[in-house]
Amino acid sequence: MNWNWFYRMGSPRWFYETTSRWLPWLGALTFILLVGGLVWGLAFAPQDAKQGNSFRIIYLHVPASFLALAGYFLMAAAGAIGLIWKMKLSYMVMKCAAPLGAVLTFLALFTGAVWGKPTWGSYWVWDARVTSMLILLFLYLGVLALQYAFNSKDVGNKASAILALVGTVNIPIIYKSVDWWFTLHQPATITFTQAPSMHPAMFQPLLVMILGFYCFYAVALILSVRVEILARERKTSWVRERVKQAAQNSLGATL
Amino acid sequence: MKFQFDNFSHLLNMDGHGAYVWAAVAVTVLLMTWLIINPLLQRRDVFEEIAREVSREQLRQDASREGA
Repeated sequence: MNWNWFYRMGSPRWFYETTSRWLPWLGALTFILLVGGLVWGLAFAPQDAKQGNSFRIIYLHVPASFLALAGYFLMAAAGAIGLIWKMKLSYMVMKCAAPLGAVLTFLALFTGAVWGKPTWGSYWVWDARVTSMLILLFLYLGVLALQYAFNSKDVGNKASAILALVGTVNIPIIYKSVDWWFTLHQPATITFTQAPSMHPAMFQPLLVMILGFYCFYAVALILSVRVEILARERKTSWVRERVKQAAQNSLGATL
Repeated sequence: MKFQFDNFSHLLNMDGHGAYVWAAVAVTVLLMTWLIINPLLQRRDVFEEIAREVSREQLRQDASREGA
């Protein structure tokens, strides 16, 4: 089998140049999906029969939670690839996925808290789903902190990757927590095996928001990996060429 | 598809749930904007740093050439 594509994908320069072409399109798509989905969900979707308008928080809460979990898988997979193939780019992805995932997990918890107050009567409950999400936040912060806990960058990367891999055990626990334990949190609205337990008029904007969050995640991750690449490859001629070009047109330097 | 509220203040109030919904929206928009702005600012800093390094090296080269 020809593995060239795999090694080419591991090249920071290839990544930088390819994403330069994709970013404007992906950015525009993200913006349209997020703004469209949010307006649709907040103002045009019908209100919930039991929860009233507070249910509209679902349009932020569910996508943020989805990406907090999917982002963890991505971070752990990047860590594994880094450990096995010693790919530099892979460790950069892992490093950048940590703060991004931490922010999304925080958003899942925050939007959950302000949804919990009118629905459960409390901002916070030590419930299986909520507590396992809090553990996810600490795992993200742990991966982030371990990067800087060692003098050698290489050791820091390896330690973070191992923590990220060990932490994946938490992901199925989060998914299943609403089934395994008696909990306040409502069961999953969307599953792979059944039709969504939601009216299409409410479900469609949610789908748009989830797609929008996926695109957002890609854009945010790509942007910070690109900064990482520039900083680490600063001595190379292709980076210096980029800097020269940017200095010539001042727009490039500000964007 | 139909607009669900009578007017703008009804949209803000959301039958008493407005504070919760809009707090969630505000914090989400704020943090997500930061996740985009922050790498863009960092990128600008890295570009400026590299440009300074390049011009410093240029100066050093010129100086050593004059010395020789």
